[in-house]
Amino acid sequence: MNRSVNFRMRILTVLSPVLLALALAGCGGGASTAQNPITSPPPPAGYSGPPPVSQDVQSFKLNVWDNLQASNRCGTCHGTGGQVPSFVRSDNINFAYEAANGVVDLGNPSASMMVTKVGGGHNCWLAANSACADQLTVWIRNWAGDILGGTRNITLQPPPLRDVGASKSFPTSSALFGSTVYPLLTQYCSRCHSSAATTPQSPFFAEADVDVAYAAVRAKINLDTPAQSRLVLRLREEFHNCWTDCGTSANIMQSAVQSFANGVPVTQVDANLVLSKALTLYDGTVASGGNRYDNAAIALYEFKTGTGTVAYDTSGVEPSLNLTLSGAATWVGGWGIDLRGGKAQGTTAASRKLHDLIRATGEYSIEAWVAPANVVQENSYIVSYSGGTSVRNFTLGQTMYNYDFMNRSTTTNGNGAPALSTPNANEVLQATLQHVVATYSAVDGRRIYVNGELATGPDPVTAGLLTDWNDTFALVLGNEVSNDRTWQGVLRMVVIHSRVLNQAQIQQNFDAGVGERFYMLFSVAHLINVPQSYLLFEASQFDSYSYLFNKPAFISLDGAQDPDQIRIRGVRIGLNGAEARVGQAYVPLDRTVTAAVYEPTTGFGLSGIGTVVALDKGPAADEFFLTFEQIGSNTHVVVEPPPTPLPAPPNGIPASQVGLRTFEELSASMSEMTGVPTTTTNVADTYNRLREQLPTVENIEGFLSSHQVGTAQLAIEYCNSLVDDAGLRSAYFPGFNFAASAATAFDTPAERALITGPLVARAVGTGIATQPSSAEISAEVDALIGRLAACGGSCAADRTFVIVKSACSAVVGSASTLLQ
Amino acid sequence: MPFWPSHVGSIVKRVTAVVAIATFAVAAQAGPREQAKRMHDRIAGVPPSDTVLGAMATEIAAGRTQAAALMAMNHPAFYAVTLKNLVTPWTNRDQTVFAPLNDYTATVIGIVRDDVPFNEVLSGDILYVGNAGGLPAVSATSNNHYEQLETQGIDLRTGLQRTTQSGVYGTPPAATAGVMTTRAAAQSFFVAGTNRAMFRFTLLNHMCRDLEEVQDTSRPPDLIRQDVSRSPGGDARLFLNGCVGCHSGMDPMTQAFAYYTFDDTQGRMLYTGGSVQPKYFNNDTTFAFGFRTPDDQWENRWRRGQNALLGWDSALPGTGAGAKSLGQEFGASDAFASCQVEKVFRTVCLRSPVDATDRGQIGSMTSTFRASGYRLKQVFADAATYCMGD
Repeated sequence: MNRSVNFRMRILTVLSPVLLALALAGCGGGASTAQNPITSPPPPAGYSGPPPVSQDVQSFKLNVWDNLQASNRCGTCHGTGGQVPSFVRSDNINFAYEAANGVVDLGNPSASMMVTKVGGGHNCWLAANSACADQLTVWIRNWAGDILGGTRNITLQPPPLRDVGASKSFPTSSALFGSTVYPLLTQYCSRCHSSAATTPQSPFFAEADVDVAYAAVRAKINLDTPAQSRLVLRLREEFHNCWTDCGTSANIMQSAVQSFANGVPVTQVDANLVLSKALTLYDGTVASGGNRYDNAAIALYEFKTGTGTVAYDTSGVEPSLNLTLSGAATWVGGWGIDLRGGKAQGTTAASRKLHDLIRATGEYSIEAWVAPANVVQENSYIVSYSGGTSVRNFTLGQTMYNYDFMNRSTTTNGNGAPALSTPNANEVLQATLQHVVATYSAVDGRRIYVNGELATGPDPVTAGLLTDWNDTFALVLGNEVSNDRTWQGVLRMVVIHSRVLNQAQIQQNFDAGVGERFYMLFSVAHLINVPQSYLLFEASQFDSYSYLFNKPAFISLDGAQDPDQIRIRGVRIGLNGAEARVGQAYVPLDRTVTAAVYEPTTGFGLSGIGTVVALDKGPAADEFFLTFEQIGSNTHVVVEPPPTPLPAPPNGIPASQVGLRTFEELSASMSEMTGVPTTTTNVADTYNRLREQLPTVENIEGFLSSHQVGTAQLAIEYCNSLVDDAGLRSAYFPGFNFAASAATAFDTPAERALITGPLVARAVGTGIATQPSSAEISAEVDALIGRLAACGGSCAADRTFVIVKSACSAVVGSASTLLQ
Repeated sequence: MPFWPSHVGSIVKRVTAVVAIATFAVAAQAGPREQAKRMHDRIAGVPPSDTVLGAMATEIAAGRTQAAALMAMNHPAFYAVTLKNLVTPWTNRDQTVFAPLNDYTATVIGIVRDDVPFNEVLSGDILYVGNAGGLPAVSATSNNHYEQLETQGIDLRTGLQRTTQSGVYGTPPAATAGVMTTRAAAQSFFVAGTNRAMFRFTLLNHMCRDLEEVQDTSRPPDLIRQDVSRSPGGDARLFLNGCVGCHSGMDPMTQAFAYYTFDDTQGRMLYTGGSVQPKYFNNDTTFAFGFRTPDDQWENRWRRGQNALLGWDSALPGTGAGAKSLGQEFGASDAFASCQVEKVFRTVCLRSPVDATDRGQIGSMTSTFRASGYRLKQVFADAATYCMGD
């Protein structure tokens, strides 16, 4: 209980799963314990005292004492005759049990004093305090067993009351950073904190690209108090690779950060806003809980460390299968790693526990929270226990929109082929955060579940035994051990279970979500006449660039209150002194809290919608608040500025006054010119074959020579149909003797005019100044006819028809038709 | 096989070259006959007969350009060529003009022919069918009727008959929404997917704007569906700077189509009044805290913010249920009216507006279009007059 503030603390007792889901989804209900948890074989030797007096003591011994009694953990100090509490004394396990009870909270293992002490830096046996705390939490949770299975209490902690303050936000441009802090970073930090370094160390705030560096450094700079920047503290207090003496290095760095901060204007809060009190994410009540099903977890990666090159296995199952990050692998805010060609790989020795424990059960599950970077990568391995591209025990991979699952058994080859994939058509893999579970058992073979739902059909390969598994392989994430199956994306959690998770357990783990969540209580008691009243949000860091705010509710921590008729309208989330520009999902909110609906334990739900808001300085420094258009009788009228009229576009290049006739216009025009219907069989056939060769747009600049060829062909077909049809030709060319031979049919100008006249009149038009001169065209066609008729007395019988068709085609297929 | 005498090709080229030069040489001199020729070419797509040319020239000489334009619109090719090729790209996702005649295209042609107020094109219970003999019956499950109408070369000026979608297809009258609920539109834009295609293509074809031009990240994201990742590839910046800009406006309006789908097996549009289509819940675990569609209530969030410039009708509420009222919302906007004018301008003038004079003309034509009761023929006449040359 927080005793430093004068607020009564309220305990939300969640009475049923239904209420749990409604009020505090994801935080309640302990892990069920149908099976005994996996513990590290073989058990430690050395205990020869009295036997445990109860099953609970026995459970304590197996899960906690055995793991902590070693001299390199707690045994040296808290053993027999050592410092109190002597919870790993070896003379009597029952006394150790009594001592341990004083420093654990079985109802909330992560809140145990033992955990918080180690997590705070007290003799952690790993490089990362958080990893020790997580391991210890698992052991205590395993001890607690089914004690946690029932009702779970979530205690909402009243946050400190803090007014919304003026604050500085990082400018959008990296220019100021680039001229102040960045030169120091590139000079002194780039040998490690750059992706091009020999041994790259995330975060890459000394990257060659200043924008990338700027994005990475934000969480390390405190603009409001430069001396508290991690960049400075790391040198001054933690003596981290100082380039002179650390005090001087820290002062130089602080001076640079101060210069940067001085150039950033303070964002003042608008005095007219109706404001709640302010909070940071970490002022919220932690909503993490033992809601996951992890009883058969034998390797667990939550990626909480956030720094360094080791991802710790916090399953509590010895030996720890810690993974070493290499290549382009960086940490993600809100827990996770971002793999862009790098990988995280364990040793073959430590990986052997997977072989031993899974072969013993003959079944397993691979569970992961993944966010693939894209849906185009193929043969990309997400989680693999293998020895190269041709030998493996198991692999979960990605091929475009599909998850692939390979498992080696007695019925497959040594590479676990053929792979089982999610169906192509379903495209279940999306480039977003997904919960994927691959299970294998000798009964059902391979299955893949995505977001709690079975995504594959029956395994086409008969299930076999795992007796052929190789114990010299290594567990690797984001690649193959041979580095040639790169997967790009974010991993937020990876768990290997030595049992098949059933549908309910998978759903349970999916519902539990991933990452650290908080209940944020924004005080509004100063705005309405309800003591200890808050707007409650479930909030978390969603990824490296955003926060998730979810399920707002109105609640008073004073159980005697029964609030009624409080209208809440137009809620906006503020960040560092200003309302967030994007993500304001609660602006349309307009609800009235009524006593009839209000529940003292869960409050009054305002919305079931969640929203993401951009991260600015990082979860430790970003200060949130709420603004209201109305809450109770307090109102603030928000007037959106009128939209800015768009400026007139600049004048374009003057366009041509003429253009091309398009495909169907050409056909219809030729039909008009010749009198041949467009539906005539030969014409229609030719048109359908040619139409995509003809112009499709009028723009004359798009003219191609193929257009002219197509136009000519179509014209010829129309003219062919015209001349071959006795009725049409006699009507079109009245007086012309088609029965005459070519030698006589065209031998006078008058006869030739019987052809050229109608053609020019109908196809070109007369008396139109914008059309070509009739005389000019007539002369040209007349000459053409003359040349074609001069066949030296040996003309073919159909030469007259051919000549008319030619003359017709020359006119109808000319530019006077093509242009408009 | 095409007729192609071996010696004709070179002659054709020679004649063509001569004609092209001659055409350009005199392009600047335009009297009534020249203006009539261009007007007819641009409106009907084909050259006028000498008789029509003469009559049109007479009207133009007398200052009655509108009457001249109407003469050109009396040519069958205005319907079978100009209008058909204007509309056909609106009716398919590829935006190809090489698609068969369908009920969407035929309905727009009929609306123009009969001077039906064009702003009903997205909301009316209206359908045009062929009335010639020898055609297969119009069907909700096949486009054969319209394909035959085209193949047989039936004069669309006289061969189309007005009817209703509710009568022919059995769609409830309140669920009809002009061309959006025609079979062709449903087949293209309601098939599979999430129905957002109908919104996007309607915006594109009838508001002349693609989504990139209307994105506004300042709108509330509370109605964005669950299938939209808030952290694509693990990076929320993509959502906050990009996705939200379109989806915050699009998703609230696409809700209007919640009861529609196209059944590929039956080959017809389905309307499931009161029951939201399962496609609205595709990938609903992608962001489980997103909006889950309960009905077909839509809301136009773009009435505020930068997209208020689209000129929404203040007499309408900006919200409603179903596609019909959404179609009315679109149809009553300034953007809709000016879009129709711009499209006709491009068709007739063979170019987009390029300068202040052209833009002023677009504004003037838009006003006339609305004042004339949304008669699209009026727009053709105005555009043809503006671009007939001088």
